[in-house]
Amino acid sequence: MEELIKKVNSIIDLSKEGEAYFVSIAREKATPKGTILIREGQAVNKVFYVTSGCLRSYCIDKNGKEHTLQFAIKNWWISDYIAIHSDEYATLTVECLTDSSVIEFNAKELNGMLTLFPEYEPFQRNLLERHVLSLNKRILNQLQLTASERYDLFLEQYPDTEQYARNYHIATYLGITQESLSRIRVEKAKK
Amino acid sequence: MKALQITKYGEIKDSLAFNEVSKPTVQARDVLIEIKAAAINPIDKSIILGNFQSMMPISFPSTSAYDVSGVVVEKGSEVNDFEIGDLVYSRVPQEQMGTIAEYVAVISDAVSKKPGNISFEEAASLPLAGLTALQSLEYVGIKENDKILIHAGSGGVGSFAIQYAKAKGAYVYTTTSTDNVEWVKELGADRVIDYKTEDYKTIVKDADVVFDTLGGNYTAEAFEVIKKGGKVVSVVGSLDEETAKMFGMADYKLPEELKTLCEDKEASYKFIFMHPNGAHLGEIKSMIEDEKIKPIIDKVYPLSESIEAFVHLATGRAKGKIVIKIG
Repeated sequence: MEELIKKVNSIIDLSKEGEAYFVSIAREKATPKGTILIREGQAVNKVFYVTSGCLRSYCIDKNGKEHTLQFAIKNWWISDYIAIHSDEYATLTVECLTDSSVIEFNAKELNGMLTLFPEYEPFQRNLLERHVLSLNKRILNQLQLTASERYDLFLEQYPDTEQYARNYHIATYLGITQESLSRIRVEKAKK
Repeated sequence: MKALQITKYGEIKDSLAFNEVSKPTVQARDVLIEIKAAAINPIDKSIILGNFQSMMPISFPSTSAYDVSGVVVEKGSEVNDFEIGDLVYSRVPQEQMGTIAEYVAVISDAVSKKPGNISFEEAASLPLAGLTALQSLEYVGIKENDKILIHAGSGGVGSFAIQYAKAKGAYVYTTTSTDNVEWVKELGADRVIDYKTEDYKTIVKDADVVFDTLGGNYTAEAFEVIKKGGKVVSVVGSLDEETAKMFGMADYKLPEELKTLCEDKEASYKFIFMHPNGAHLGEIKSMIEDEKIKPIIDKVYPLSESIEAFVHLATGRAKGKIVIKIG
């Protein structure tokens, strides 16, 4: 929790009261491997800040196959933001790929910070900007980069995640088949 | 709900009908699965023909088939391992048979989450054949460098068993007909024997294990190709004494011929009666997700054409599994 407060205070100057409220709405949780934090088709009102471990969000297509949207490691936020902001049921599932620790916030309570402590707003905006940037980059990378380049970026962006994630988690994140992923790995090993 | 039911023992086309039936209700340890896909197996055909009526009598009408994949939509009060919305697959127990329908209630011990990297149709193709192969090869403890002969490599059980044995590092011989040689090779078998042009008994020598999926003469012949101290595991041959006792046949004795063959080769013989098992399906899930095993599908039929699917099954010419898309 302390680390998160430090992060917040590195961007804004949160008042003592604001800090106390922020801590009061945060719930630190240990989540064993396999825990489902958000389940497709159910109501969502939580966002999670990862303090350790590795999580994944994925959607399921109409044939029943999973497609990874995002991985989240230490210091990342994860939720189903479509569901939260549109007040719809979850279209994503969020699962823990390893034993993890997260700080759970109720999305409404977290948003409540904006009214109660306006100085918190730039932190929230910064988060949102980074989230939009990351999504846009993900789309552009998908359009502009080769599969091998996208794999390099994945390794850079999510260090060590390869150890925890199954091949199909990574392959569907990159938008390639498991066979292609194996081929890319073999080619890289040769170099 | 709509269901394909067996109305009497007899020829397929005369004995199956679509009926409107009530939705199953869940018991404390059951989950209710909204079915997305079902698969059919030779046993489903044999049940319709009445071949098992003394061993596994059914009442009429009974909804057909055992293999299923779908979504959990309801659960009993004692179910903790599954949540509503879980994507699952199962080989349902005999007393809960009936997967060519919109819903099936299944005891949760027989259910597993489905592999995440394959479709509902592919997942439905796995349970019965996969469990049969896994339980047989786990029983014999197949391991690296074992030499194994798997009969009928192009069948549902054989094609799974080849991939499973290869994943364990074994050397795999398999038999199949000329038309199937190429694609069976692609499953990873080290030596594919075309039984129309080659005699497997002259090719396979000193095998550690024979997996007998054919029965008849093949069970006894297995002892000609195993090494001294080898193992024969069968899913269609004679019962062994231990399995017979399990079925309440306390006085059953292994046929003399098999007994002698076992003694001569200091070999073991075991009949495997596949049992529904969610934990084993969990193992299969991992192997599928790691692409150690791939589902092999011959054809997917819509529910409305499921009687035709049975007719196709009865030809015995399917290369892989026959699946029925439901949801």
